[in-house]
Amino acid sequence: MIGIEHYVVVSSILFVLGVLGIFLNRKNVIVILMAIELILLAVNINLVAFSAFLNDLTGQIFAMFVLTVAAGEAAIGLAILVIYFRDRGSIAVDDVNRMKG
Amino acid sequence: MDFAASLSLVAPEILLSTAGLVLLLVAAWAGDGASRAISIASVAVLAACAFMVAPALCSGAMGPDTVAFSGQFRADAFASFAKLLIYAAGGAALIVAPAFFERVHAMRAEYPVLILFAVLGMGLMVSASDLLTLYIGLELNSLAAYVLAAFLRDDERSAEAGLKYFVLGALASGILLFGMSLTYGFTGTTSFEGIRAALSGTISMGALFGAIFMLAGLSFKIAAVPFHMWTPDVYEGAPTPVTTFFATAPKVAAVALSMRVTLDAFGGQVAAWQQIVIFAALASVIVGALGAIGQTNIKRLLAYSSINNVGFILIGLAAATPQGASAMLVYLAIYIAMSVGGFVAVLMLKDADGAPVEGIAEIAGLSRHRKVLAACLAMVMFSLAGIPPLFGFWGKFVVFQAAVQAGLVPLAAIGIAASVIGAFYYLKVVKVMYFDEPANVAVGKSDWAHQALLAIAALFISPLGYLLTRWLGALADKAAAALFLAA
Amino acid sequence: MIQVLAFYLFATLVIASAVFVIMSRNPVHSVLWLIVAFFNAAGLMVLVGAEFIAMLLVIVYVGAVAVLFLFVVMMLDIDFAELRAGFIRNFPLGIAIALVLVAELVLGIGAERAGALKLGTPDGTAAPLMDRSNIEAIGALLYSRYLFLFESAGIILLVAMIGAIVLTHRERSDTRRQNISKQVKRRPDEATINVKPEVGKGVQL
Repeated sequence: MIGIEHYVVVSSILFVLGVLGIFLNRKNVIVILMAIELILLAVNINLVAFSAFLNDLTGQIFAMFVLTVAAGEAAIGLAILVIYFRDRGSIAVDDVNRMKG
Repeated sequence: MDFAASLSLVAPEILLSTAGLVLLLVAAWAGDGASRAISIASVAVLAACAFMVAPALCSGAMGPDTVAFSGQFRADAFASFAKLLIYAAGGAALIVAPAFFERVHAMRAEYPVLILFAVLGMGLMVSASDLLTLYIGLELNSLAAYVLAAFLRDDERSAEAGLKYFVLGALASGILLFGMSLTYGFTGTTSFEGIRAALSGTISMGALFGAIFMLAGLSFKIAAVPFHMWTPDVYEGAPTPVTTFFATAPKVAAVALSMRVTLDAFGGQVAAWQQIVIFAALASVIVGALGAIGQTNIKRLLAYSSINNVGFILIGLAAATPQGASAMLVYLAIYIAMSVGGFVAVLMLKDADGAPVEGIAEIAGLSRHRKVLAACLAMVMFSLAGIPPLFGFWGKFVVFQAAVQAGLVPLAAIGIAASVIGAFYYLKVVKVMYFDEPANVAVGKSDWAHQALLAIAALFISPLGYLLTRWLGALADKAAAALFLAA
Repeated sequence: MIQVLAFYLFATLVIASAVFVIMSRNPVHSVLWLIVAFFNAAGLMVLVGAEFIAMLLVIVYVGAVAVLFLFVVMMLDIDFAELRAGFIRNFPLGIAIALVLVAELVLGIGAERAGALKLGTPDGTAAPLMDRSNIEAIGALLYSRYLFLFESAGIILLVAMIGAIVLTHRERSDTRRQNISKQVKRRPDEATINVKPEVGKGVQL
């Protein structure tokens, strides 16, 4: 059986890729939202792996709640994106210079 | 603890969610025309909830009788204190909203419903004694808050505020969640009690990482430096009633949650997080004070002021003592009154057409034509600066006292120095209002509800507030005792 | 042995597709790579015996979230070339930061020793019932111990729904809608008229 550390490494790499995706695609909000999904995926892998190795189901219940919330979060994020696009005709966040400081 | 007893402990939450659902149906049925009535009903519900949680605070409830649902939820005096503040702030956000939104024909019946659900989420946050409850409460609050920030959907600034808040908020949730997953893995449990027990010896590297990630996520939610960048933009762009809400209720909830996480779950490992909290406190105090200089928009100014205030609150957390916790709660109560007063005063600044005025230059000479409003705003500013006769001073005083007693003298000294720097920009606003040539822009009339709220807030932060110190201090001590008993 | 192979296959694919998600030029490709990442993550979860969460991941993410993303990418008419302008500039710094972060995480958590990580010991309050299937055990726990949070999660979904509708729904005046009650209420005498047109001329309705 594969050890827990392998799972932790995979999820750490995924987490960092998600954070990196946010920094690299600072203008493209859609990819930012996908990067956030990657972060949540990393968390889920972590939770499920820990749950299995600890022989404790709480982690899987936690992962289910994370999934639920992630779905809601994606819906709200995309809704805000749509109204932002309607108002400005673009989704580039760097255009966000109406407010400075 | 059996199921019925658990249910009776979450009665305020059940009332809030039922009321939210019923009012949502009313909203669907009666349409936006009924939004004023729904707002009033929501305020009544919040008042009822306040009466339901007040007994637990007054009796100083703590211990196993306050734990519901096998350790996931804790309805002790500490939670009750925070909930009372949250309900008050939520009520204020409901009362000020109709007049503001109706002017732009954007008052919608969903606004009070979303506020109710956000308040429900915050109630879960402050009562959380399990990582799962923490996460659910936090996300319930955050999702409602993202929508509220973008509530004026045809306004570019509001949509932009919603987008920024969402992206950074979701990132912070992700970081927090990663920390929680590590904590779970390396302690084997999600309950705060269990985490504390598992960390009673030395802290393993994984759990330490978990704690750091969790603190980073939480410091975003309380807008502490270095995770404060979103605050000025969101506070400026969001509709002012929503900003009033953001500056008050979620702040209380997130600070209370941070107290539970650090003092309860990681309470056995103070050394692991104390340095981080000290850094965040100092950086927030300084960045908040320096960033406010040169701002031309009063909402941005108040945003930096809130960062600054969070720094002072964190000084109490750095002390990691019951006194520190009690001082934080006192500070939070006073901070709520000051913030509500400040933002309601901003809401009352209108030009002749009733359009909101937000520029600091535009309120020049306000004292000539709006004497009472100018006096109240000046009082809020003096109080935020912590100038002695006003109640804002008391909050800073108790926090510094707790820090000194915990042996953090340098921290308190730097805090005092920074509050002197901070006084500069508060006083600048007062100078503009009283001594500059009148700009005669902010001449519009205000709603009676705004006047009443401002009067209450001003009365609370006036020197009369000192009559309450004994009473407020006693309640905060009870709440802090409950927090430390749980710990 | 087959397990080890499967683990490395899924792990490699999930990381590779995550890289493509954040690197692709076209957001549609990003969404598709995201779907690949989710499928492989589900594979990783099946390997440790969490088949219910794995299936949930596929159904919720691939079925709902990814489709939602695709829908929005297609619906909004976005100039994606413009959005990549800052990408190259941020690239070296971003990679450097990411490498440092990964190294810190991996070293810090102690995985470099390739020995067994020392996990905590669960207090046994929520241990799985080994004689049941994964889904049964989760169900038993979810509807008893975690009932309160389960209901609260329902409210989160409700808030998400209200939020999405409040923000994006708008009454459009330029569309023609069916009004069923108006159709039903129509009587024959107001629906038809008899006219006698003259030969060679049209009718004026």
